[in-house]
Amino acid sequence: MATVKFTNVQKIYEKGHTPAVADFNLEIADKEFIVLVGPSGCGKSTTLRMLAGLEDISGGTIEIDGEVVNDLQPRDRNIAMVFQNYALYPHLTVFENMAFSLRLKKMKQDEVYRRVTEAAEVLGITEYLTRKPRALSGGQRQRVAIGRAMVRDSKVFLMDEPLSNLDAKLRNQMRAEIILLRQKIDSTFVYVTHDQTEAMTLGDRIVIMKDGFIQQVGTPDEVFDYPANLFVAEFIGAPKMNIVRTQLIEENGKFYVTPFGSRMEVDGVNGQLLKERGITSRDVILGVRPEHISIVEAGAENTIDSTILVNEMMGSELHLHVSTSTGEKLIVRTPTVNLSHEERNKMHTGFPLHITFPGKVMYFFDPETEENLLY
Amino acid sequence: MPFYHDKEVEYKLRFIWFCMNKLNDLQYLKLNKLQKFAYKLKLFIAGIPRFLLKLLLGFLGFFKKIGLGIKAFFVDIFTTFTKGNWAVKLSYFIFGFGNIYYGQILRGLFFFLFEAVFICYMIVPSGGLYWLSKGQWFQNGATIGTVQGGYVYDAVYDTDVWQPGDDSVKVLLYGLLTILFIIGFLYTWRLQIKQCRICMDITAQGKKVKSAKSDMRSLVDDQFHKTLLSLPIIGILAFTVLPIIFMVLVAFTSYDAAHDGYSNLFSWVGLDNFNALFNFGSGGLGLAFGEILSWTLMWSFFATFTNYFLGMFVAIMINKKGIKFKKFWRTVLVMTIAIPQFVSLLYVSRLFDDTGIIGKLLVNWGWFAGTNNTSLWDTELSARILLIVINIWIGIPYIMLMATGILMNIPNDLYESSRIDGAKPFQQYTRITLPYMLFVTGPYLLTSFVGNLNNFNVIYLLTQGNPLDTGMGTPGGASVGSTDLLITWLFKMTLGSTDSKYYMASIVGILIFVVVAALSLIVYNVIPSTKNEEDFK
Amino acid sequence: MEKNTVTSVDAGLSPQKTRRSMGAKASRRLSNTAIYIVLALITVIWLFPFFGILLESFRVETTQQVSYLWPKQFGFDNYIKLITKTDFMQWFVNTGIMGVATAFFQVFFILSVSYALSRMRFKGRQGLMNIMLILGMFPGFLTMILIYKVFAEAGLTMEMAPVGLIIVYCASSGMGYYVSKGFFDTIPKSLDEAARVDGATRFQVFYKVIMPMAKPIVIYTILMGFMAPWGDFMTASYIIHENSEGMNVAVGMYEWLSKTNLNEYYTTFCAGGVMVALPVTAVFLMLQKYYVEGVTGGAVKG
Repeated sequence: MATVKFTNVQKIYEKGHTPAVADFNLEIADKEFIVLVGPSGCGKSTTLRMLAGLEDISGGTIEIDGEVVNDLQPRDRNIAMVFQNYALYPHLTVFENMAFSLRLKKMKQDEVYRRVTEAAEVLGITEYLTRKPRALSGGQRQRVAIGRAMVRDSKVFLMDEPLSNLDAKLRNQMRAEIILLRQKIDSTFVYVTHDQTEAMTLGDRIVIMKDGFIQQVGTPDEVFDYPANLFVAEFIGAPKMNIVRTQLIEENGKFYVTPFGSRMEVDGVNGQLLKERGITSRDVILGVRPEHISIVEAGAENTIDSTILVNEMMGSELHLHVSTSTGEKLIVRTPTVNLSHEERNKMHTGFPLHITFPGKVMYFFDPETEENLLY
Repeated sequence: MPFYHDKEVEYKLRFIWFCMNKLNDLQYLKLNKLQKFAYKLKLFIAGIPRFLLKLLLGFLGFFKKIGLGIKAFFVDIFTTFTKGNWAVKLSYFIFGFGNIYYGQILRGLFFFLFEAVFICYMIVPSGGLYWLSKGQWFQNGATIGTVQGGYVYDAVYDTDVWQPGDDSVKVLLYGLLTILFIIGFLYTWRLQIKQCRICMDITAQGKKVKSAKSDMRSLVDDQFHKTLLSLPIIGILAFTVLPIIFMVLVAFTSYDAAHDGYSNLFSWVGLDNFNALFNFGSGGLGLAFGEILSWTLMWSFFATFTNYFLGMFVAIMINKKGIKFKKFWRTVLVMTIAIPQFVSLLYVSRLFDDTGIIGKLLVNWGWFAGTNNTSLWDTELSARILLIVINIWIGIPYIMLMATGILMNIPNDLYESSRIDGAKPFQQYTRITLPYMLFVTGPYLLTSFVGNLNNFNVIYLLTQGNPLDTGMGTPGGASVGSTDLLITWLFKMTLGSTDSKYYMASIVGILIFVVVAALSLIVYNVIPSTKNEEDFK
Repeated sequence: MEKNTVTSVDAGLSPQKTRRSMGAKASRRLSNTAIYIVLALITVIWLFPFFGILLESFRVETTQQVSYLWPKQFGFDNYIKLITKTDFMQWFVNTGIMGVATAFFQVFFILSVSYALSRMRFKGRQGLMNIMLILGMFPGFLTMILIYKVFAEAGLTMEMAPVGLIIVYCASSGMGYYVSKGFFDTIPKSLDEAARVDGATRFQVFYKVIMPMAKPIVIYTILMGFMAPWGDFMTASYIIHENSEGMNVAVGMYEWLSKTNLNEYYTTFCAGGVMVALPVTAVFLMLQKYYVEGVTGGAVKG
């Protein structure tokens, strides 16, 4: 029902200081689920709060459905918001909490009752309607907070780190529920989080921010496969991408990298792209995701010799923290299904491991600008 | 010998090095306890010049800010005039014209009304200009008000009748009000010009200016603070700011019981009153002031810290695990807060009188044998000690309550982990409870100190400042008592007797302010981060 | 407003290292006994004056101070004298009216100021707070000289002193915003924000969300306002200017203990003291919970 458009939006808290949000441009389509993600202090919450009208806008314009809302009070923007710490009114029952906005609109009791009970039904909190928030668990409170936003016919649905106060298990469960909820509510969503898993699983598109600047906007696939720069590459994906400073060598139309004295060919799509971009021999930062590193037999050609520092058994996979002969640390992620019990038992601290980087899934960044060379 | 000599030189060099250098964290951690203390002391002493400099710069910055504000005022006024259209230009003379022109009728009328009232007030007979001219502001020796009242023969009554002249108090007050009104006028002048220009700009962009309806609406919404604060601020302006400015002015006049402004005009005397403060001869004001100030500070110190530590101790006892009837003990103490102080204090004061139960006991025990005294209230030392003791009785309940609150906020895991680390109960007290309390209550100690500095009730209801220090005379227009605080002295000066010297009261008031302000400045600069409880956790 | 409140703390006095010879339990019992003795002593000392006043107020045989506490003859003579022969009832009513009015207006002023300063951010907020801080460093009594002059002119002194005093107590009360602002500061900001997003104006946030949660601080403020006139001597005596009709209890009863009146009015004073203390203490103890919460920032539940 609503589009949102940011044009050159800026937030400066103190004159002369670096802006909290700088030159933010984004168009959000109707019924899109947008996730703003980034480390703390990157300006994602500020952006959301500017959209909500809780912070003044220092520069630029924000439009909701084509109407500039810069000078509108939050209550005139027709938005709903879910807060990190739930922000439930402690003196009101769950029912009245959810009905609060409807009461302010002087809605008829029948309609209030219908809407609140419907939302409660969807969220499974019908039996708590007469309770006060303090008698609820964290997850239940979060549902009430969502319910409070649901009962309104708001144009945009804002969520400010709604899951970060929940424990890990509950968070996973609520995440799934938000996906279900989204299919029911059918509204435009703007969701803020610092957790890349939430961003990847929830968002139609992800906006990755750092120090007030947008780093990349794209679908989860795009930002994972084609990170715009080193920051995005490291931020998206867990465990973090391995980073190696090395040389890219072009020989007879073929490309090689030489991490830790080895020599590996860059083949597949990557080789193609490097050629298309006209890149020749140069210094690069090489990025390799832990799950792309393969473990090979001793004696194979062009491997990197390393020893295991720490072995984290995650169940379905192993996270091996290894140290190369030059003392650099890498993380290797390997599914347990491929390893026999004996092999797994051997992989304790000090065990030598031979690894290799497959050429078609490497990432190349410029050492100076940290931009993705193939983006 | 040479060996020792060398070592000595080395130590000296080291010491100098130590004094000159700011240590980094790791170097600091290396020091032993004594060195750490010395280092901190050194930092503190070295910090004093910087503190004073900061203070000076703060003052300068303050004046610079005012200067810049005034400059901005004129620049703004000027540029607006040159850039503005005719409606804006006309607003320079007719308040609110621009607002009305751009459709903000309500605001415009409001401004216009203000201007009309101001001009009327200024020019009517016995209006603003009249009062301003009467004041003879700050002309040394000139009276405030120009016509002295006096008895004039009246043929009708065949006797001298009082022919009223000017009243200096009125002249001063109305003059002051007029000045404040003028400042308000200038502010409003600029405000409406500014608004007018904003209207112009908005209209130029093709947008609509704010309507009266949305003005009203914003008073309960984004401008709600204006609604909330207007009445309280008017109250503060009228009943605190205005009287304080007035009294500060009085310090430069000869306003006293003989020159009350009505029967006798009082006049501007410049800094004469302040000069009297430096008269340290016998009967001199400086001496009396020094005496009373020193006791005031002593009293504040003892009253604050005895209460603080004993109250905390009581709180710890009551809140100790395993002690029963916590609520009962607390209620007993809280009752002292509930009962109006004048009842309990006056009663207790009489208990210790020569006719009171305890006083009689002491007399019977021969406590005062061989002296002229009949009760503990009669000598300076005993009266002072008794005051502090009785104040403990008054003050402990407050501290106990506060300390209880803080004790309950100390995370229990601090105690548990210290227990695992091997701390004994007393060590827990000195290493956890006390630092935590001191940290959290730093600002409270200051308020409490200031409160005691001005603790009129306890002193006046118990001793009225007695025993009198007759040797001092009445330099400020009031007797000087051995237990008088500055505030009770001030009170006595203003009681309206024939000796009352209001200008002295004003000076004492200003000095109290100076003492409190200096204390606050120092405390806030010495105690770091007194505000944030999170730091400790 | 979720605060972890513990009902008792181990404030460092409980012994925990088991001593071989005595055992933790025995040692704790010993230290507890010592504490009970001290607390009992404190109770006696603290309550002594109050029992003294109460007992002496019923003494019939003489109106002077005596060297014994327990009256030889009990009776209501002092109370009868208090009500029939003195202006006490007038003072009492005056003070009562002042208390109620002061409580009413102060709540309004203090809550307005503290809410605005705690919840809203506007230009000049910090400056306003600084100015109020600096003004607070002047002794408040200094303002009385001018205020008395003006009030005398306006007829608000002497027998009209209660009205004048109410104005004095209330007008600048906005400066005493600290405690309640501290309370408001503990209410999460996101509640305001949620309500504003939900469609509430600032005013609606104030009375629909914050006020219902601020009951403790409202009652605390009322209590403080009500108590103020009962204990005030300094300002009151200045404005009243020895006019019996306009006195509050403190100023009125103060004279009874002067050297000249002491012998005739000492027990009357005690009776008056009881009359004053009873209602005030009753109100106070009834609302003690809120007072304690106010003073301790909510950590101690009365």
